[in-house]
Order: sequence, then C-alpha cells, then structure tokens
Amino acid sequence: MKVLIIVFKSIIIGFLLGGAVSAGAARMFHAPETQGLGAFRTLGELNACNGDPVAHFSFGFGFLLNSAAATVGAGALTQDVVHRVIPNFATAILLLRNKKIEETLYNPSKMALAGAVVGAVVVTFLNTLSAIVPHNLAEIAAKILTPASNLMINPVMPVIFWLAALDAGKTTGTWATVLGGFSHMVSGNATPGVVLGILVGQTVEENGYKSKPSIGLILIVVIMFIAIAYFRGFFKKLGLNF
Amino acid sequence: MESKKNINSLLMSEMIFPLIVGVACAAIFAGTHMYVVYHTGAFNEIFVIQMLDKGLKGGDFTAAAGFSLSFLLARVLEGPLVGILDIGGALLTGVGIGIPAIMLASGINAPVMSFPLALLTGLVIGIAIGGLIIIIRKLVPNGIASGGTGIMMGAGNATGRYLGPLIILSAIEYGIPTGIGAFIGGAIFYKFDRPIVGGAILGAMIAGGLFIK
Repeated sequence: MKVLIIVFKSIIIGFLLGGAVSAGAARMFHAPETQGLGAFRTLGELNACNGDPVAHFSFGFGFLLNSAAATVGAGALTQDVVHRVIPNFATAILLLRNKKIEETLYNPSKMALAGAVVGAVVVTFLNTLSAIVPHNLAEIAAKILTPASNLMINPVMPVIFWLAALDAGKTTGTWATVLGGFSHMVSGNATPGVVLGILVGQTVEENGYKSKPSIGLILIVVIMFIAIAYFRGFFKKLGLNF
Repeated sequence: MESKKNINSLLMSEMIFPLIVGVACAAIFAGTHMYVVYHTGAFNEIFVIQMLDKGLKGGDFTAAAGFSLSFLLARVLEGPLVGILDIGGALLTGVGIGIPAIMLASGINAPVMSFPLALLTGLVIGIAIGGLIIIIRKLVPNGIASGGTGIMMGAGNATGRYLGPLIILSAIEYGIPTGIGAFIGGAIFYKFDRPIVGGAILGAMIAGGLFIK
C-alpha cells in the first residue's frame, strides 16, 4: 500500500519536474536574451553530445546508475537526475524521431513533453527501488552515513570553503575569515559565514566598498547575522539584556 | 500546427518563466516531503540531505538552513545577470532543503508533511523566485559579482568528494564486513569512473546484508 502511494506521488513529482526542467533547459539555448533555467554544466554536456541520441542516452544512463546507488543508500536522488538524466534522456527521445537539434533540444514545448514523461518514469523507478530495500539494510546505511556526514558538516566543509576563500584574494579571504568565525560563534557552523564572506569579498573586489551592490550586500549580511544571533540567544549568553 | 507554435512561443516568453520555476519548485518541495515521510525522494546530493537529516533527527537545522540559503541568495543574484538560473543551488538546495529546514526549525510542519500542501508551497515559492528574477532583469543591468558563485561551486564539489572516503572510514568503524564492502565497492566504482560514494554505500550495504545479522 505504501509502495502504491510512493508510486503515485513519484509519478506526479517526476512529471512536473521533468517537464519544467526540460523546458528550462531548452530555454538555456536562447540565453541571455531569454531567461533560462538549468546549469552551465548541463548546457555544456548537452552540447558535447552533439545531437547524437546514443551519446545523450548513454550519458543519462550512466548518471542514472549513480543516482540509483545514492537513492538506495540514502534516499537522495542526487542533483544529477535534474541536471543530467532527465535533460539527456528527453533529448535522446526527441532526436530519435527528428535529427534536427533546433527543432528538438532548442524547442521548449517538445522538451517539456518528453521531459515530463521521462521524469515520471525515472523518479518513480528511483523511489520504488529505495522503498523495496529491506529496513535493516537501510539502518546499517544510516549508521554508517551519520558519523561520516557529521564529520563532513563540521569541520571538513567549513575548512574547504575557508581555504577556497583564502585562495581567492585578500579581501575575500578576510571577509570569509571574519564572517566564518562569527557564524561558528553564533550558530555552531562556520560554513554559512564563510560562503557569505566569499560573496561579500568578491562583490567588494569587483565593485569597491562604496558601490551600491557592496553596501547593499554588507548591510543585508550584517542584519542577517544580528538577527540570527538574537534568535539563538547569543546576546543573552554574553550577559547583555536583549 | 498553429497551436503548437503558440505553445512554443508561450513557453519561450518572459512571463511564463516564473510558472516554469514554480512547477519545478512544487515538485522539488514535494520531493523533500517524500524524503521526510518515506526516507526517499529528495532531489539533492547525499551530503546536502545529510545536513537536513541532522535537523530531522537532532533538531538542529542550522547547517541545512545556512548552507542552502547562502546558495539560494547567490544564485538568485547571479541568475538574471547570466541568463541562466542555476537549478542546483537555487531550487534543489535553496528551495528543496533550505526553506523546508527553516520551516521545520520554526515548527511549521504542515507544508512539508502534507503532499498537496508541499506542491502548493513549492509552487508559490517558485513563482515568487521566478518573478523576482524577471524583475531584477528589468531593473538592474549590472549587479553583484558572480565570481563568488564560481568559488562556492568549486568548494561545494570538493566537499562532495570528501564524503566517499569518509564513508569508507565510517563503514570500517562500524564493522569489518561493511568496511571491506565499502572499500571494495568504492574501488570498483572508481575504476569505472563513477563517484566513490555510491560504490562505498552499496558495498557496505551488500556486505552488511550478507554478513551481519
């Protein structure tokens, strides 16, 4: 019964996502005049398959296997379903009937239709695969994944982002260090601070401190951190009364 | 033929963009609903979903919210400038993980726990984001640096690579069968040019299923 519900919901989800993502992908080929939805890597990979349905299909299929492993192990369909599997399968299907890219891959309505069908099938397949796997196996996977991901969330990820920021220039590195430290102080994890530091640093490096984007961004960041600190009782911890 | 051309020009128009984003977000948000209720179906990488898990299991959603919302902010600022709204950072992570994290942390469970409500919530959020992108496109010709997102993407990918080896180590700590399964599975996947994570988890689970009672 539960599997039937999962199938039902998966079909709806896959249909909607597949259609939207494929229409967005087709629009990418008309950017920047038209606003696209997708990813630069998807654009590159679709181009690399060069209108060959076999290439598109193999590419998508390879990533489908990855996604299957991640789904069975952790319930995570991975981003590849959206970036690589659906767009390439949809393109492959369209190219089988019409060899012209301009009339298929670059065409949002055809891509949307093909993508919707592909999406429904792929998402349902992945989710049911996961639901059929026995419970104790899933439990073992969870007991193994949790310590690994805890380590990853802290301190691996903050450090990786921190090093990337330090490598990106003095301004970026400084902002990342200060905001990262502040973030860990108020919320126990430095990553959001480091990431915001990267954004602020890069904006300042490109536009200067006195420009509108820089001032706006810094203002947003400062307000955000004060709000986070307040809601987490940080000021109370310091002994201040607000 | 006429109606097909009309649908096509509709799907290419500027005004339909928020709806496309809305439909995608409806599905993505519902995917998170699936994960929270059935433990499968979230549209993101294992390491990002593990951050959500930290909140689901221990009540601490800060990592999920902070990480995801930073990406959402960065991609929404970048999207209008470069003409492509990045699905991964903005929608899959920002809307799929960040917004549910904030809702659950604030005790707002209904949009995540109910399938129809999840679809609706995602739709509204997506239309808002898509609309914001179009508005920004019209108002701001030059804006906030997109150089930052390049750094973030690189670091994000590097983080993902750490997870494979970390899982192998964790599997070995859990037990010898799972450990052997993990490093052999990881090695096989690596040999065939696939990310180690999948092989490590599958290997650990297969070995665990066969040898652990």
